[in-house]
Amino acid sequence: MRPATVPCVKAAARLCFQTGFSKEWRWLASPGRASFRQAQRHFNVSRCVTAKRPPPRSPKETVEIPGLGVITYGERMHYVPGLAKPVYPLWERAYKDPRFYQALPAHEMRLYKEKPCYVFHQRTSPLEGLRQALWLTKTKMISSLPPQLLSLAESAANQIPDLDERVQKAIKHARFWDTTEERPGKAKYCNALLLNLLHLCATLQTTHSAIGRRMLAERYSLSASWKRGDDLFQIRGQNGFLQNCMDPLPEISGKQEVKDTADHVLENLYPVCPTISLQKVHLYKEEVNCSGFTGDCPYPHAHTLYFLEGADPHWTLRPEQFRTKMVMFAFGNALARAHTLYGNQPQCVLDRPITVQAVGTNGRLFQFMVFQLNTTDLSGDDGIKNQVWLESDVELYDFAKVRPFIKKKQVKVPAGLAGYKPETFSRFMGLYLHGAA
Amino acid sequence: MMALSVLATALRSLTLAQTPLLSSQAVAQIKMGTVLPRTVPQCRGFLTSAFLEQNSTLWKQTEKYTVRPIGMKKTGGRDHTGRIRTHGIGGGHKQRHRMIDFQRLRYEEGKEGKPFEEKVVKVRYDPCRSADIALIAGGYRKRWIIATEKMQMGDIVKTSAVIGRMAVAANEGDSYPLGALSVGTLVNNLEIQPGKGAAYIRAAGTSGVLLRKTNRAVIVQLPSKQQVEVLETCMVTVGRVSNIDHNKRSIGKAGRNRWLGKRPSSGLWQRKGGRFGRKIKPLPPMKSYVNLPSIASI
Repeated sequence: MRPATVPCVKAAARLCFQTGFSKEWRWLASPGRASFRQAQRHFNVSRCVTAKRPPPRSPKETVEIPGLGVITYGERMHYVPGLAKPVYPLWERAYKDPRFYQALPAHEMRLYKEKPCYVFHQRTSPLEGLRQALWLTKTKMISSLPPQLLSLAESAANQIPDLDERVQKAIKHARFWDTTEERPGKAKYCNALLLNLLHLCATLQTTHSAIGRRMLAERYSLSASWKRGDDLFQIRGQNGFLQNCMDPLPEISGKQEVKDTADHVLENLYPVCPTISLQKVHLYKEEVNCSGFTGDCPYPHAHTLYFLEGADPHWTLRPEQFRTKMVMFAFGNALARAHTLYGNQPQCVLDRPITVQAVGTNGRLFQFMVFQLNTTDLSGDDGIKNQVWLESDVELYDFAKVRPFIKKKQVKVPAGLAGYKPETFSRFMGLYLHGAA
Repeated sequence: MMALSVLATALRSLTLAQTPLLSSQAVAQIKMGTVLPRTVPQCRGFLTSAFLEQNSTLWKQTEKYTVRPIGMKKTGGRDHTGRIRTHGIGGGHKQRHRMIDFQRLRYEEGKEGKPFEEKVVKVRYDPCRSADIALIAGGYRKRWIIATEKMQMGDIVKTSAVIGRMAVAANEGDSYPLGALSVGTLVNNLEIQPGKGAAYIRAAGTSGVLLRKTNRAVIVQLPSKQQVEVLETCMVTVGRVSNIDHNKRSIGKAGRNRWLGKRPSSGLWQRKGGRFGRKIKPLPPMKSYVNLPSIASI
C-alpha cells in the first residue's frame, strides 16, 4: 500500500475495531508495528494478510482500430465482462506541489543538447588512472619534484626550533589523542593531521611575511570546461581544501623547457576510449567557468590543494585513482584561472604559465604534485603540453599503533609512533613556502 | 449498519485523497521508476491484504546493464506461492549478482558493423557460477564476460562478425562467427540463434568442438557429446572456459556444501525407479536449429 493511504486505512481499521472486526484489522490498526514486512513472522496472523503477491502479468495489448467506436464500462461505473476498459485523460494538478513533481523527459528540458559532455567530478574513478588524466589534460609527467622545491625544502627544515618533536606531537595528536574512543577514524585523523601540519608551517609567518597573504578555503565548488578533439569535457565539484593567495606562484620551468614539451607524444589508450568512466550528460551549460569564488575575491590565485582520502566515507578511491583526481582538479583550478585571465578562447602558449600545487594524503602516505598550465589549446594532440611533477607514496611514518603488534609473544611493532621520517615534512613545508620565500 | 457506514466513509476519504489508491503492482512499478498512466480509478478495489516484500523478484528485473554487483534475494527453493518447489536449496553464503553480457557481439552506439577489440581489466571469481568472469573494457563501456582458460589482465580480445573465405587463425578469448573458424577448434559460449546470446558451453572447463562446416550450417559437438547444427553466423568464443580444475575439487565436508547453499537430502529410504543407475545408450540424433525453407513452401 502507498504510505499516504496507510493513515486512512488505519483510521478506518481503528473505527472498525470497535465493531469487533477480525484480528487482522486489529493488527493493521495498531500503531506500534514496524512494517507490513514483519507480518509473516507473527504466527497469530492468518494467511490472507500475509499472502505473497502473484507474479506480475504483462499488460494485454489493446488493438486500436481507427474509426471504430469503443463501448466501455465507464458509464456503468463497474466492470462488465465483454466491454472495453475506459481510458481517461491524464489528470494534471492545477497548482504546483513540490511533493509530486514530475520531471520532464531529458530531451524536453531547456539545457538539453544533442552533443554529450563528459564530466569529471570528485567521485569519478577513471579506469586507466593517471594515463587517462595525462591524456585528458594534455600533460607531460615527471616523476619527481622540481629541484628548486627540493632545495627550498632542505633550507626550510632548519627554521623551526624543535621541528621533529613538534611534528611527532602533531601526528600523535591526530592519530591517538583526538578522540574519546580507542582510536579516531580515518576521516578524523586525516583532517586533524593536515590542520596540525598547516598550523606548524604557518608559524613561519614571523620570518616569511607573505604567508599572511593567504587564505584556506574548505568547501568550494570548482567548474571548468574544455574541448579535446571532438568531445567536450567539464570538471566540476568540491574537491578538498584550497589555499588561496594574493600573489600568483612563480613558474617552475622556463620558456625553453615549455617549448621542448611539444616533442613529447601522449600515450595512446587504445582499445579503451579516454572518456571511459566519465559521466556522460546531455543536460549541461556550455562554457562553465567558476573558480569557486566571486570575481572580487581578494585571494584569486590558487596556491595549494589538499586532498584527503577519508573525506568521502562512502566512496573510496584506489591510490592510482586518487592521484588522478589530484591531477585533474589541479588542472581544473589552473584552467579556471586561465579562462578568467586570458578569456575562453584557446591560447596556444600562455604568457605567464599558471602553477598550482597539490598535496594528497591518507594519514600516512603523502603525494606531492606541482602542475604547470602552459597552454589552453587542448583540441589537438600535438603542440605545447602542460607539465606535472608528481612524487607519490612518500611515507611520513611507518606505524602509528594504538596497541602493539605482537607475534608469537614477541613485540614486532611497539605501540605509539614508529619510523618517523623528517624529509617528508620538509617537503610539505617546501611546497608551503613556495612563493613566499 | 455502523460497519457499513464506517466502510463507506473510508472509501469516500480514499477516493477524495490526492493520491489515488493503486494496486500493489503499481506501487512496485513506481519504486522501479517506471511512469504509470495516471488514470483516476472510478471503482477500484479496496486493498485489504498486504504482501511480504522480502520475496519480491524485482532485483532481477532491471533492463539497464550495469557493471556493479547487484544484491540477490535467496529463494530457498520456494516459488511464488511460498511452498518448496525444489528441495535441497537454502542457506549458504550471501552472493551478489554480476550481470554478465552473453551477447559478445554487441556494438557500441555509432560503431555498428566493424570488428572491435577490448582490453581485459581483471579476471575474478564469480559466486553465481563455476567459471571465472572477466571485466573487459573497450571504447566507452565496460562489461563482464565469461573468462576463458588463459585469459589474463591486460590481454586484448577481439570480436568480429566477418566471415571470410579463409578460416581465421583465432586466438583464445576472441569471438568469431562459427563460419569463420576452422574445423577442430575448441569453442565455448555457443549461440544457438544468431543475436540471441550465448546459452551453451558456459560451465567451468567445458569446451565444444567444431566438427563440420556445410553450406549455411555448422555442426558443433557439445560437452555432453550431443551434436547440434546451427547457423554459421552464430557467435562463439574460442578456447576452453576458465577454472578447468573445478571438477577435480573435493568438497571435503558437509559444511562446505552448506556454504554453497545446498541443504541435505532426505535421509529416508526412497524406492528407486527406472531413472537410477548407469545407462549406456546410443547418442540421440543431431539437433538442428537451422530453419531451412522446406521444398513445399517454395
